[in-house]
Amino acid sequence: MAEITPNEVGITDFALREHRSLWYDAWRRLISSNTARLGMFIVALFVLSSVYAHYFWPYEPKSDLDYSLKLKPPILAPTEEIESAHYFGTDKLGRDIFRRVIHGGWNSLRVGFVAVGISLSIGGLLGLLAGFFESTPLSSREHIFLHGLIGAVLSLLSAWIANQYFQAVLFAGLGAVAAIYNRFLAGKPARFLSFGLAGAIFSGAPALLVSPYIALVCAILGALVGVILSQPLGGQFLSSIIMRAMDIILSFPGYLLAIAIVAFLGPGLEKGMIAIGVVGIPVYARLVRSVVLSVMQKEYILAAASVGEGHGRILSRHVVPNILSPIIVQTTMGLANAILSAAALGFLGLGAIPPEPEWGAMLGDSYRYLASGAWWAVVFPGLAIMLSVLGFNLLGDGLRDALDPKLRII
Amino acid sequence: MEPLLKIKDLVTRFYTEDGVVHAVNGISYQMDASETLGVVGESGCGKSVHALSIMRLITSPPGKIEGGEILFDGRDLLKLTSNEMRHIRGAEIAMVFQDPMTSLNPVFTVGFQISEALMLHRAMNKKEAREQAGELLTLVGIPAARQRLDDYPHQFSGGMRQRAMIAMALSCDPKLLIADEPTTALDVTIQAQIVNLVKRLQEDLGMAVMWITHDLGVVAELARNINVMYAGYIVERGNVKQIYKYPSHPYTNGLLGSLPRLNEAPGTKLVSIPGLPPDLVALPRGCPFAARCTYVVDQCIEEMPPLQKIGAQEHYVACWRWEDVRRRAA
Repeated sequence: MAEITPNEVGITDFALREHRSLWYDAWRRLISSNTARLGMFIVALFVLSSVYAHYFWPYEPKSDLDYSLKLKPPILAPTEEIESAHYFGTDKLGRDIFRRVIHGGWNSLRVGFVAVGISLSIGGLLGLLAGFFESTPLSSREHIFLHGLIGAVLSLLSAWIANQYFQAVLFAGLGAVAAIYNRFLAGKPARFLSFGLAGAIFSGAPALLVSPYIALVCAILGALVGVILSQPLGGQFLSSIIMRAMDIILSFPGYLLAIAIVAFLGPGLEKGMIAIGVVGIPVYARLVRSVVLSVMQKEYILAAASVGEGHGRILSRHVVPNILSPIIVQTTMGLANAILSAAALGFLGLGAIPPEPEWGAMLGDSYRYLASGAWWAVVFPGLAIMLSVLGFNLLGDGLRDALDPKLRII
Repeated sequence: MEPLLKIKDLVTRFYTEDGVVHAVNGISYQMDASETLGVVGESGCGKSVHALSIMRLITSPPGKIEGGEILFDGRDLLKLTSNEMRHIRGAEIAMVFQDPMTSLNPVFTVGFQISEALMLHRAMNKKEAREQAGELLTLVGIPAARQRLDDYPHQFSGGMRQRAMIAMALSCDPKLLIADEPTTALDVTIQAQIVNLVKRLQEDLGMAVMWITHDLGVVAELARNINVMYAGYIVERGNVKQIYKYPSHPYTNGLLGSLPRLNEAPGTKLVSIPGLPPDLVALPRGCPFAARCTYVVDQCIEEMPPLQKIGAQEHYVACWRWEDVRRRAA
């Protein structure tokens, strides 16, 4: 038997293992899941093909018209009769559906990303503020800012009536004064009266230039704003204002609100993006607020405060990185939703303006020819919508599993 | 000598939907520089709330510090602006929390989190801070500390995380370290290591330590003085040896009686204090311990006894019948 010394026994020093971050672990879990890989493949296919088509395969929708090729079924190789191959056939104007589906992908994905970008940035910021200040007292500087903001926003109504927009600045100033002198007559009716009176004068006096009736309406509104500003407003109040506003948006059916916004703004792809984005804001605001509230209960937030970190630092270093995973999942799923909404708007003729290729609009153009047997004009754009939505949903599902820390691979 | 920390009539309350929770009800005491003070009492007696009040980290609303003074190094912490208070936290008073599993941010490396405090208070650059963070981890006894700086918290065990938390707390040489049940979530061998670590660090660095716990054994090992808290009041306060030898409040007596002893005959039943602590929303008019006390007399129900000095040494008790309690205990 060979002798060995203890030094030769192989020991992995566990102190010297590789340093793996949570994100790296999540990535490994993501690529080990079949459905997530399928989702990634589909998403990559759509993204790459539409980006490639947009930059290297020019398409001019306005001049693309050939009645001689009207509603031809798919052919895979050029023949004597038809000189070019049409893999997906042609539509009622003789346009190549394959080309339009690929180029339509650019529009659909663009709507998806921009709309989700709008919802996420606005909704996320509102949710972050609501959740953070619901569980943390405001510092004095934040109090002044909050009062000023509420004053400016609330007074916009009376400023709008009187057509005197500088009133918003006056009310922001009044709010700041109320926040600085929060001990002035604290809790006494005299405080409401003095601030209410100040509000009435600020709002009513300049409106007198327009008409006495408007001045009266504005003075009443101004007095109301003044009374609200005289209250000791806190983070809770900010949070409830934000969340009630979100509830109001949520109380409309999503598509109906989007259609209303497009009807107000006028049709067009960009208007569609804004409409879908606005409809999505409350979803993100509520999600972000709820995860922020749960992260704020964690001891590392208290520990960060106990080493003297300020609000900005706690938000950026401790809150935001810890709420990213549900937001990433929601964003991916939201992309699928936005693509679907864009197609719905396009189908109704409210999204892309006609010759512009867009999946929903293509469906809307062609479904009337389904009865005459032209299935290809409907099936291929429909498949594109279905596959892209499926791809984003599979990826989102995979991300949710991958980012769940309870399933960590050790 | 001027005491490092002097608390006078501190009152902290929580305004909840169920009513006003009287968490801390006018406590006063003082602590010298480099003193170790144990704060003991059962769960929900205001130990942690009073510590968070010192740090001004009470979540508000619903919490509110209603009155009193917290003089730290001659300054009243309750009168500072939130910005000035931020410079005290971490730099002069540091805190270690109960649950090491959640007190480190899971998305950053341990080294990054320790260096962050250093960069914040000591204006170090990244490289110096990292260097110092390595030294701190070595100081708290983490092997191969420099390599472990790049580890994430989930790669640390519970005891190591608590050591890392202590390293973070020590990073700016605080004058006072508040340890809020730092060993409760750890197993016994690790507990002993952490206790010894803090003891050693306290001797080396000469800081004051406030050790909050419900483990009387740990306090006996560490502390010079103890505060026994009950329902938001300090019911007994003084030198550890004095109190363990002559407990003069029936609650302290009960706590000490409920400790298991090595020299007990097998089969002896552990004594427990009957009843539950009072509801902090509706505190009784008199002594809050009266309902569970075997020494109770009419005066206890009518009137809260003041914290009075007994004997020649620093020993204070809030009990009308302390003489009887002491006689019986001795």
